[in-house]
Amino acid sequence: MNSVLKLELIVGLFASFTMLAIVIWSIKKGDFDDSKRMMDGMLFDSEEDLQDAVNREKKQKALKEKKLKDIKNSKE
Amino acid sequence: MKCTHCQLEFDETVMITEENNPDVYFCCNGCQGVYHLLKDDGLDSFYDKMGNSTIAPPVETDDNVENFDLESFKQRYIKITPDGFSKVDLVIEGIHCAACVWLNEKVLDSTDGILEANINFTNNKAKIIWDENTIKLSEIIEKIRSIGYNAYPYEQSVEDVKASSAQRDYFLRMAVAVFGSMNVMMIGVAKYAGYFSGIKPENLHLVHMAEFLFATIVLFYSGWIFFRGAYYGLKNKIVNMDLLVSGGATITYIYSLTVLFGAKGHSYFDSVAMIITFVLVGKYLEVLGKKSAVDAMDKIKSQVPLEATIVEDGVKRVVSLDEIVVGNIIEVKNGEKASVDGKSIVKESIYDESSLSGESLPVEKQEGDMIYSGTINSGMVMRYKATKNYANSTLSTMVNLLEDSLASKPKIEETTNELSKYFSMVIILLAIATYIGWYLYSGDLENALIITIAVIVIACPCALALATPIASLIGISWATERGLLFKEAKFIETFAKATTVVVDKTGTITNGNLTVKKQSKELNAQDVALLYAMVDSSTHPVSRSIKKYLEKEYTSIKIVELENIEQLGGRGLKAEYNGETLLGGNAKLLDEHYIELDYKSEYTLYHFIIGTRVVVSFELEDSVKKDSKEMINYFQKIGVEVIMATGDHAKVAKRVADEVGIKTVYSSISPKEKAELLISLKELGKTVVMVGDGINDALALSKADVAIAMGSGADVALAMSDVVVLNDSLKGIKESFIISRRTYTFIKQNLLLSLIYNIITIPLAMAGFVIPLVAALSMSLSSLLVVGNSMRIKKEEL
Repeated sequence: MNSVLKLELIVGLFASFTMLAIVIWSIKKGDFDDSKRMMDGMLFDSEEDLQDAVNREKKQKALKEKKLKDIKNSKE
Repeated sequence: MKCTHCQLEFDETVMITEENNPDVYFCCNGCQGVYHLLKDDGLDSFYDKMGNSTIAPPVETDDNVENFDLESFKQRYIKITPDGFSKVDLVIEGIHCAACVWLNEKVLDSTDGILEANINFTNNKAKIIWDENTIKLSEIIEKIRSIGYNAYPYEQSVEDVKASSAQRDYFLRMAVAVFGSMNVMMIGVAKYAGYFSGIKPENLHLVHMAEFLFATIVLFYSGWIFFRGAYYGLKNKIVNMDLLVSGGATITYIYSLTVLFGAKGHSYFDSVAMIITFVLVGKYLEVLGKKSAVDAMDKIKSQVPLEATIVEDGVKRVVSLDEIVVGNIIEVKNGEKASVDGKSIVKESIYDESSLSGESLPVEKQEGDMIYSGTINSGMVMRYKATKNYANSTLSTMVNLLEDSLASKPKIEETTNELSKYFSMVIILLAIATYIGWYLYSGDLENALIITIAVIVIACPCALALATPIASLIGISWATERGLLFKEAKFIETFAKATTVVVDKTGTITNGNLTVKKQSKELNAQDVALLYAMVDSSTHPVSRSIKKYLEKEYTSIKIVELENIEQLGGRGLKAEYNGETLLGGNAKLLDEHYIELDYKSEYTLYHFIIGTRVVVSFELEDSVKKDSKEMINYFQKIGVEVIMATGDHAKVAKRVADEVGIKTVYSSISPKEKAELLISLKELGKTVVMVGDGINDALALSKADVAIAMGSGADVALAMSDVVVLNDSLKGIKESFIISRRTYTFIKQNLLLSLIYNIITIPLAMAGFVIPLVAALSMSLSSLLVVGNSMRIKKEEL
């Protein structure tokens, strides 16, 4: 009985500390700095919004590549 | 009837309708324009996302966007990212709900050249990263303005960085504390179940070990700030709350440790975690308050102009504000803000002083008249001589005063804190007395300790601590349902005790915009077309109101082109059409052109003349909001004094005051005098509530015991306010007062309940009749009692 309890506690503690570590990482990253976005954010998480996020990443990549090319050209 | 775009309520007669779109109604052309823009761009899902929120109708700004591309602007506000892109921090004005943030981000994201547009929902600050080669900042600002918002740059201050990192630090500690407490409580279920159903000592030890682990993390990591606070308190010889919290938690922790390592008794690791967590949540809310004060200051500072053009020996030079010295000649273009105080050296100019006086009409300035910093030149290019440097000018003084008052806003809750401090002191003394008494009486050290702990646990001021917050929480949620936002719970108590209400005129009692009250005669189609072309060429509030009136009254207006349009400062407009002279303006304009007309009115007049024939005259007034009178009557009936304080002239102020029944009126007063009025009222021992909506009210709002702003008011006023009436209705002020009073009554009831509880239970615990477990249960019961009582608050119709 004691060993089952021990095992349960160890597994439980491991799981909860893993989750805590994820939350701490997320807080440190700044995900919780904007309390209202945190609460209302899910209202604006539609398929279209996700598509926008993908497009934004593509746009950022393209602009960064363009910038690198410009810098390279100006050096030459 | 609601405007389709801003969703504010207006009378049906003033609404703009569309023939081919009968389901839409607009309060102004701005709303109509933005609505179509969003529809064309496929962004009309914005309205679904808005829900029941309202937004401020878009305002045309005269600010010159080209300023954003100036070299000096770039040096001050634009930073270069490691990738070589430009980055700026902006405050976005006009954001009222999450849908507004969504819309701004969506529009900016779809703009070419913008890499990142991140708007903070909480403080409306935005971080924008863009490629300077693809798009200019001025174009980005124009984009934001095109959808009805506005943006100003701000410099991230040291306080802002500090407040942000403090907020994050507290949040992290709080998250760990909540995590620890939740786990301790879950393990606690096993422990308490074991008391009743039996548990093996080795299993109990295991449970204690797990509790010990979580409590240790909570006490020493999350509770660290209390130890730190207690240390600094002791260093300054002050017994503060931090000392009581950390001391109490540590004693309980040490006792539980002895139980863990063999002593007989029960451990209280759960109490350790709970004490720290509850107090920490309260502290976190305080930190949030400080952060929002810093955000408010950034919004105010973003209103300060960036630079000024000075003229030396006929040569113009752009300088930063600190470089301006007394005697400099400063040139101000149309739409620009005056940077320092000075005296006009041109014959005539017009200034929009609404940011200082709240007066809706621009003020005429003659040679030698004072020009105040922060006011906007609404006429032609003008010059004036600086009589003060920037640091001593009106705008800078206002910013400094606001900064001071934000730092020293009175805290009513301090009395409650004082009370619980004394309460805690008394409990500690009683606990010590119990311990000594029982030890001397029974000689059993452990028994004495257990009884002492029962006293501490049963007296734990949970019910007392909950009495105010739980009632406030229910009161606040009730208010929120009705569109009344209380920024902090403490304002409920203060508002309930209010003895005096000071109200601003423009935008609060009145609608804040001119409407045509009377038209002297009917117009034919040709005259309407000419008048429309005339008023369309001016941005003056009177012209704008007449334009709106014509659009509503006459369905198909022919578009004509006028020639030689000329602004006549402070008088009106002059133009030509087919060789005939057209004039539009006030009585002065008529005198100047020797046109006789005997038309007197106490309202603002506008005459339209073709050649020498007076075609029509309009009477315009700033109409009183429909529920103003009801609200003022209500307050007067229950014995709360109502005072009107306005920057407007005595005559106008008196007329409005008479109409709504206000007896005490202070007119033609500056924002500083308004603030002084509030201070002197407070010195007389009155609890003062200030209701306002403009930038000119911000200072007075900051001095009030409770500051109430209308939802569509200036962002600065909203930032300074304690209560926001979202639907702009004055009925909301009455409702929030009723809610505050009722909530306060329940707070008092709750306090009485918890007091009775303590009077009964503490002596029982001291006498040794209560074991710690029962003490903990009864403490929870007392909390439930308080919660249950508070639930009754909402059982009244408003």
